[in-house]
Amino acid sequence: MNNDKIKISTRNLNVYYGAKQALFNINLDLMEKKVTALIGPSGCGKSTFIRCLNRMNDVIDICKVDGSIKVDGSEINEKNVDVNKIRERIGMVFQKPNPFPKSIYDNIAYGPRIHGLAESQNVLDEIVENSLKKSALWEEVKDRLNQPGTSLSGGQQQRLCIARAISINPEVILMDEPCSALDPIATAKIEELIDELKKSYTIVIVTHSMSQAARVSQNTGFFHLGKLMEFNLTEKIFKNPDNKMTQDYITGRFG
Amino acid sequence: MNLVILTLIIIFSFSCYLFGKSKILNTSRVSGKKFHSLPEYYGYYLAAWCGLPALIILFFWSFSELFLVKIFILADFKTDPLLDENKLNLIFSEIRAIAEKKFTGTIPESLIPYSEKFLSINRILELSKLVVILSVIIFSLTFAYSQILKNIRARESVEKVIRVVMFSCAAIAVFTTLGIVLSLLFESIKFFTSVSIFDFITGINWAPGRAFVRDASVQTADVENVFGAVPLFWGTFFIAMIAMSVAVPIGLFSGIYMAEYSSRKFRKIIKPLIEILAGIPTVVYGFFAALTVGPFFRIIGENLGLDVSSESALAAGVVMGIMIIPYVSSLTDDVINAVPKSLREGSLAIGATKSETIKKVVLPAALPGIVGSILLAISRAIGETMIVVMAAGLAANLTINPLEASTTITTQIVTILIGDQSFNNPKTQAAFALGITLFFFTLIINIIALNIVKKFREKYE
Repeated sequence: MNNDKIKISTRNLNVYYGAKQALFNINLDLMEKKVTALIGPSGCGKSTFIRCLNRMNDVIDICKVDGSIKVDGSEINEKNVDVNKIRERIGMVFQKPNPFPKSIYDNIAYGPRIHGLAESQNVLDEIVENSLKKSALWEEVKDRLNQPGTSLSGGQQQRLCIARAISINPEVILMDEPCSALDPIATAKIEELIDELKKSYTIVIVTHSMSQAARVSQNTGFFHLGKLMEFNLTEKIFKNPDNKMTQDYITGRFG
Repeated sequence: MNLVILTLIIIFSFSCYLFGKSKILNTSRVSGKKFHSLPEYYGYYLAAWCGLPALIILFFWSFSELFLVKIFILADFKTDPLLDENKLNLIFSEIRAIAEKKFTGTIPESLIPYSEKFLSINRILELSKLVVILSVIIFSLTFAYSQILKNIRARESVEKVIRVVMFSCAAIAVFTTLGIVLSLLFESIKFFTSVSIFDFITGINWAPGRAFVRDASVQTADVENVFGAVPLFWGTFFIAMIAMSVAVPIGLFSGIYMAEYSSRKFRKIIKPLIEILAGIPTVVYGFFAALTVGPFFRIIGENLGLDVSSESALAAGVVMGIMIIPYVSSLTDDVINAVPKSLREGSLAIGATKSETIKKVVLPAALPGIVGSILLAISRAIGETMIVVMAAGLAANLTINPLEASTTITTQIVTILIGDQSFNNPKTQAAFALGITLFFFTLIINIIALNIVKKFREKYE
């Protein structure tokens, strides 16, 4: 595709919910410090896929993940891997903003405190400030860090969750439809933010919006019924896809 | 008689329903007339008019019947100034017993004519009741029948009737509560006229038996120092605290375990099993405490060189704690499950472990609900009687030693009221004063608990 460095690669990834198979033989390489968009109709397995990358599917009792997932060349889909360390390196932002019922400050400080990243209050303050600045929320909340995170608007809450994810300085940020609960203005802000964040982080974003995928990503993967139909440069996918189905989906003929 | 009338009313109402329904069906079929509501609503309408007025009259009549009879019968005795209220009541009971052939002992000759009068008045009243009710039914039915022929909006009327019926049921519940509280209040006021409320609340000597001994003519001076309820308040509080120190940790942790750690299958089995604890009759807990736990603690205490009485606050408290474990665990489980999954995932996705997530995100979010459940458990512990009666003894000790016998408000109410008692001496009235104090405590705790739980619900639902 090009000579960027591969950050995460999956080989023969199969996921089952009980007897039902949700993903079939996914082989996908995610490039470092690029935005990769995953598109496809509802229920096609995009979310299931990114939840494999930080082992969030472990939470679901009946979910079984088979195959290889390598981050920087080392396998993470193994029993003896420390899941919490993986999640420290690979953060996640969810579809619905889910700030903790704590103050804005404590929402951000949560991760650094758990992982012991700040030896002193000053360092912690700095981390909080930086994370909020990076997520373009600082100016809006700097005077009310003690108010509950749930008091913010939907778009602000989502940026708070992004700030929370980057507070522990992860390598990868997974975003599961981060804008689907937001209005267009808040969405535009988040997209701007993603553009900014890709300088420091590898980003994977699941989205239902073709235009969003086209705007923010460099690579795009198209999923359909649990299979990766096509994966290529975003430009190529949207202008001249190889697969007929991809063509049909992005032009809105099905899905 | 009442039963006969009641059956009649029910049969009439039911046939009215059938009649009204078929009448409307036929009319609309024959004449093609379109009615406002479906036929069965006219049936309900007719049935309601047939049944409800009659039922209301039957209800009030039956209540006032005896009262009326009493007025008639006792009119002759009222003139005698020697007979006070109590004696008049006694005479009336005797007359009634003779009339109903339930009198035991020698029947006093003088009362026989009155018992015959009782029977005849009763017969007249019963007959007139039947007549009145039947005529009311006929009257209201004619009215209702003319109404349905006018094509009234029966569906709306039925809605109103349903509303009124629901309301009356709610009102009965409320008035019953009110009645209980008022009767407690009046008896307590009687008590506080002979014992000062200040002495009751601050006194540390509880020995109502002494007041009973001097019952014949109680002097205020005699009862002043035997109704200090502080030992009871303390005992109640103390035993409840012992119970909570057993129930809160075990209940809380088992609740957390069920909600967060156990598999769904295991939870399905274990939750009902724990809830069985709440279904065991308290009397069973009582003898478990008195016969097993109490002696067990005593043996352990003896081995450790401690002096443990076989009836101890500890045994009662521990067993009571076991009893209320399910209150804490089930509610904890419920409120933890009500915490949105997204919060857990948010925390896990940052790399927090499960227990970190529970400690720092789930529990703080569920805290109001958990506090609410603990408060509900406390009010349960405070109101618990049987276990304490059987296991903690009756001695009103003011002690902080859990190994000694202790007593609670509820236990004292039981001991005061057991057996035949006269209801107008301070000893028995003290039970009402204790009762209203207890009611007051649990009411406040319940209000706080329900408010906390409600706040929690508002947040996430």
